[in-house]
Amino acid sequence: MSKEKMKIGEISKPRFEFRTFGRSFEDTAYLMSRLSVPVPEKVWERTSKEIYIISRTNDVNNTKIRDGKMDIKTFVQEVDGLEQWNPLMKGEFPMKSEMLEKEVFPAFKVEMPELEKEEYTLDEFLEMVKTHSDLQAVSIEKERFGFMVNDTICEFANVWINGAMVVTVNSESTEIEDIKKTIKDIGLEGVENINYLQASKRVIGMIDKKLAN
Amino acid sequence: MVSAVIPRYEFRIFGNDLTKYEVKIKKFSEKEITREMDSVYLLTPWKRKNNVKIREGVMDIKNLDQEHEGLQQWNPFLVGKFPLKAEVIKSVVFPALGIESPVFGRKKYSLDQFLSEVVSIDPDLAVAYVWKTRHAFTVNDCITEIAEIKVNGSFIKTICIEAEDPDKVMEAKKMIGIDNDAENVSYPLALKRIMGLAVLPDYWNKIDF
Repeated sequence: MSKEKMKIGEISKPRFEFRTFGRSFEDTAYLMSRLSVPVPEKVWERTSKEIYIISRTNDVNNTKIRDGKMDIKTFVQEVDGLEQWNPLMKGEFPMKSEMLEKEVFPAFKVEMPELEKEEYTLDEFLEMVKTHSDLQAVSIEKERFGFMVNDTICEFANVWINGAMVVTVNSESTEIEDIKKTIKDIGLEGVENINYLQASKRVIGMIDKKLAN
Repeated sequence: MVSAVIPRYEFRIFGNDLTKYEVKIKKFSEKEITREMDSVYLLTPWKRKNNVKIREGVMDIKNLDQEHEGLQQWNPFLVGKFPLKAEVIKSVVFPALGIESPVFGRKKYSLDQFLSEVVSIDPDLAVAYVWKTRHAFTVNDCITEIAEIKVNGSFIKTICIEAEDPDKVMEAKKMIGIDNDAENVSYPLALKRIMGLAVLPDYWNKIDF
């Protein structure tokens, strides 16, 4: 059976992902770089600054804001320890109250604040988040280095969560077996799959659990 | 037990790249000792004048006594070893945290019981597990420290200059090259920023890509 070839930066069918967070993945980063096929220059190194909205009562919807645009992904399923997330909504600030009411706050799974305006700027939205006891905005800055191992899109990244640094590595693909082989090849067998939402919650103390190392 | 330690004046900064200061500290002093330790900090979003932490089973509370030309003077006012009496937790620890004390089910609490039965269920309390590797130096007669710290698994560095004489701290700060307008950031404030309990200023550990 032929499988869909993964291409970095192109939209494909839903991917499965293995990601983990810790303080040091030097060996994994080395193996990733040695096992990788050449990748497009545009993914050699990428930086971004984002705001994640973390909800105390939700682990299945992942909300991030980059350059004034909101992107919510929802957890679909876990297969063999790998996670599949699909896009749930995309929106832009200023954002209509209707969208906040019908799509955004339901995704947080928290009590709905009273919306008095027709639309909200990003700052106004973040102010609502600040005053909500179950929500927290987290600053995430990323320095990402892209690779391609066993036809899976891989990444090693330095991530600053509210200014404190962690390291993340991942492998994602539509093909589960390719990810499992990659996990083995880059020395991550037995390591916990930790997504961004989980890592952020652990660092900010919303979940009392350690990162992978 | 009330500690007899004379409070020192302190200036502390946090960041991921403090290399330019580290180089200067190492120019003025040999490294004297490296110590590793873990601490549990108890934090709330509100009160900023107390530093409440547990290290090696001992509850240690410091009070911010005064600020002098941008330096902070923290005064340790209680040292209590677990198991701690509920009465002590109620009358000393919770007032220091600035939040209402819960109803206690036990007369005494071990550290594990305190963390799992009191702290973890209190919505007003957050916990930071902090692992420190502290390297000690002496600059201008001041205790000077470079430390790598892990806050709930995330990494950041800190440099601290402290002495009983505030002028010596000011001079050491100048020798190390720390600007006059650099912000003095205490452990509780840094931890609150990392954990989202305090506003994150734009200049906080700015990452230059």
